[in-house]
Amino acid sequence: MKINGVLIDDTFAEAFPMQATGIIITAIDLNWAYRAANSIIGFASSVIACGCEADIERELKPSETPDGRPGISVLIFAMSVKQLREQVQRRVGQSVMTTATTACFAGIDSEVTVPLGKSLRFFGDGHQISKTVNGRRYWRIPVMHGEFVCEETTGIVPAIGGGNFMVLAKTARHALAACEKSVKAIRKVPKAVTAFPGGIVGSGSKLGSKYKFLTASTNEAFCPTIKGQVTTQLTEDIGSVLEIVIDGLDEEAIRAAMRAGVVAACSLGPKNGIYRISAGNYGGKLGPFHFPLREILK
Amino acid sequence: MFALTARPLQSVDLSPLIPDQLAGKSIAKIKAIELHCGNRSIAVEQLFKVSGNDSENISFLRSSNQLNFIGSEMSYGHIEIRGAVGDFLGKRMKGGRIHVHGNAGNWVGNGMAEGKIEITGDAGDFIGAARPGDQHGMSNGIICVSGNAGDRTGDRMRRGIIIIHGNAGDYCGSRLLAGTIIVLGIAGKLTGYGMKRGTIILGRRPKSIAVTFNTCGQLKMEFLRLLFRQLTHMGRQFKAFNELGPEVERLAGDFACGGKGEILVLQ
Repeated sequence: MKINGVLIDDTFAEAFPMQATGIIITAIDLNWAYRAANSIIGFASSVIACGCEADIERELKPSETPDGRPGISVLIFAMSVKQLREQVQRRVGQSVMTTATTACFAGIDSEVTVPLGKSLRFFGDGHQISKTVNGRRYWRIPVMHGEFVCEETTGIVPAIGGGNFMVLAKTARHALAACEKSVKAIRKVPKAVTAFPGGIVGSGSKLGSKYKFLTASTNEAFCPTIKGQVTTQLTEDIGSVLEIVIDGLDEEAIRAAMRAGVVAACSLGPKNGIYRISAGNYGGKLGPFHFPLREILK
Repeated sequence: MFALTARPLQSVDLSPLIPDQLAGKSIAKIKAIELHCGNRSIAVEQLFKVSGNDSENISFLRSSNQLNFIGSEMSYGHIEIRGAVGDFLGKRMKGGRIHVHGNAGNWVGNGMAEGKIEITGDAGDFIGAARPGDQHGMSNGIICVSGNAGDRTGDRMRRGIIIIHGNAGDYCGSRLLAGTIIVLGIAGKLTGYGMKRGTIILGRRPKSIAVTFNTCGQLKMEFLRLLFRQLTHMGRQFKAFNELGPEVERLAGDFACGGKGEILVLQ
């Protein structure tokens, strides 16, 4: 199968179950909402060492936010509910509450919840005020910029992490140009995010390592500089590989994001150094969700 | 539908006529329901012409201020009333909606725990308030009065929202434990007297405020953006809140009772 002259490997992306939550950050303007959002998604590229994976889902118009101000929707993923609760509490407390003029609201409704204002309220040192409006509970915490308004909790839902595809290109510059187009396309897909810096993974990993203390190590089969030394997946013409990893709230979101991303990358074609699209899988060892590239792109 | 056929001379307790109690009953059985009227009992059919078969949507036509306890303890459904109603409308209401096209008496929403009461006219004293002996007043839900309210609105209220589009009488929000009272007109004397916590939002500065309130100055209260926006989502009657901004004068008090409450005067 080829799209715009780019070969699509007959393989599949392998993904695993995660837990996800969503928050809405609003602020005096979009610039300050972005500052809080970019802070909360910082160092949240991979659960391997960051505790969670997080990214901006989309911008929200004032008409879409609870307080009528411009906002950002952020999705946060972790391997367990416990891990998610720890990460959300820390990140909202240190990244959102500390950003001037922000407020924080639930982005997902679910019976299983993660505390937001429920735990942050104690920062108010007894001066915090709770308010129930329209069946939802909010906390008003007096802070130096005025008042930090935060919803009591947000919901947790089962989700999927690790949807992926790889762009095999002539050089890193070519691969990066294609991946940037992919990420731009994926950002338009609701319920899906790409948590790595810029949405692109420069150092994709495989499960395990020769070293016992490592759970993940370099995916040597896709490393161009050692293709003469190892069992490689790369042909002579491939000089660089970049990966896009997608977390989503459901299988359809991952499928839609992969489809949008691959099509965008392929639009550059071989004349711009894009030769192949592949995907990472570990023979079914990693997770139960399989996304065959050719089927998704039919 | 219950159309009043004769104005009762004594106070009538209409608490049996709620969706919870009428569900599954035939018209004949409903007509035979005994109502307390003064110191005796009378059958529903002696007071009302009864029709219809939708027990979830009840209407009272040609209502009178002698009809008390309408919607008492209801947990679902809708009661619409055309005309005046007496006291204790929606007493201990647990859900559903009551809409009065007329004036209401005292103690609207006494002990209310959930649901919505709308009154297009005026309401009497003690809206959402505690009766002597009650630990607290309404504990949740929303009461919206398009006209004016009497004295002691929200006295010892615990949670929920009371909205008065017109003026409120004296001691509005007295002994308030928590919750939100909004008066878009003028509030009477000693608003918030003895309040422990909670929020009273006023369209204009009240006639008098106890000396045990301190001003925190002119501020933008971000919470008001959220509150007003959420209220506009709750129905057409709240559209006016779309125009209101977060700029207020904040008065903290009552310091005689801990000082954790607030009066916000819209600018």
